[in-house]
Amino acid sequence: MERIADWFVKCFTDEAILSAIGVTLKMAFFSCLISSVLGITAGLLLERYNFKGKKLIIRINRTMMGMPPVVAGLVVYLLLMRRGPLGMLGWLFTVKGMIVAQALIIVPIMTGMVHQHASGKAPAIREFCMTVGAGRWQTVWTVLREMRHDIYFCIVTAFGRSISEVGSVMLVGGNIKGKTRTMTTAISLLKSQGIFTEGIALGVVLLVMAFIIQWLCDFLQKEESADENN
Amino acid sequence: MKITDLEKNVGNFNLKIDDLYIQPGLIHGLAGHNGSGKTVLLKLIMGILNPDSGKIDLEGIDRRNMTMMSQRPYLLTGSVYDNIIYPLKLRKIKPVESKIDELLERTGLLAQKNQYARSLSSGERQKLSFLRAIIFKPEFIIMDETLSNLDPESERAIVETIKGIQQTRPVTWLMVSHGQDVREELCDIIHYMEKGRITDEVVKG
Repeated sequence: MERIADWFVKCFTDEAILSAIGVTLKMAFFSCLISSVLGITAGLLLERYNFKGKKLIIRINRTMMGMPPVVAGLVVYLLLMRRGPLGMLGWLFTVKGMIVAQALIIVPIMTGMVHQHASGKAPAIREFCMTVGAGRWQTVWTVLREMRHDIYFCIVTAFGRSISEVGSVMLVGGNIKGKTRTMTTAISLLKSQGIFTEGIALGVVLLVMAFIIQWLCDFLQKEESADENN
Repeated sequence: MKITDLEKNVGNFNLKIDDLYIQPGLIHGLAGHNGSGKTVLLKLIMGILNPDSGKIDLEGIDRRNMTMMSQRPYLLTGSVYDNIIYPLKLRKIKPVESKIDELLERTGLLAQKNQYARSLSSGERQKLSFLRAIIFKPEFIIMDETLSNLDPESERAIVETIKGIQQTRPVTWLMVSHGQDVREELCDIIHYMEKGRITDEVVKG
């Protein structure tokens, strides 16, 4: 028991491991924040307005939802490489570049999920707002407030997706020790080097995070089921 | 309110109202079988649906001063109290607690004031929807079978509240009710509908 405790202490005082945890959380937080702003807005607008080509956009978004992360990583890599259209930003092999790649993966997921939830709920909320004389922005606020559990659920799902991603961050970030190495890319590298102990420690941290996220999802879904508007 | 040449197609259903005048300050009843187009007409008046053609002249009534209670009212997440004060919050009006308590008491909802609104029974939901509609003193109130799930005692309380409102500040009402007794007791004019058309109009003597 003492040996396991010592091993944990050794792992979690290791600068490289702490850095990987820090980079993962930073990347997941910011990519989730950007994706939430864009995805929630896009999902709600897509539900609210009818326009020519809407079905096609929904179909394209659904396709993007299933896009393999390495493809997203490759696209962002090509955009950010020195001779690429966004090469002047100098974001390749930085956390910023990894955030962009993650956002490219998460925004369609967020948009699709918010659109799906909003299609079922928002029309009734808007109709109600109209019957009590709510203004335009008051209606928007009410829709967001009434759908908050669904939106939290989408954000938590997106965060979970972000912390567990390997392919795109490996391509765009380059897995540079102490700079762009995340928990998942570190595990991948440690395994290839045959170093399993640190890999397992990082795996445990990821599993704890996944458990917390799962618990949050369950909690929000429970809240939602108590909200049935029959 | 004047409605002329109003037409709306919903699927295979066609609603066509050539001429309908809603007199201010009176209680208008709308009667007809299921599927006769009553709810479609109410939604058109409320602005929830847009007409295919024709005109609804509100004659100066601000849509924000109109309200509609639907058959299955939408309840906000939160308590009964949160739901009642919502229209006041929208208008930045400070709720008068004693007035709210009095209305809750009259409709038998006082004990449920802090209860989660979505845990109410269907009848209680309709009573809550009624209180939420009248709390901000609208000029025009539309009721779509709001009394349908109420027990006789609650129905009487609502009827008396409506009568009380009409005595103090006449409001224009347009109500759908299948209860003939209520219609005859409350309504000044009853419009009969069939297959999307107004077929008859009875003015109370």
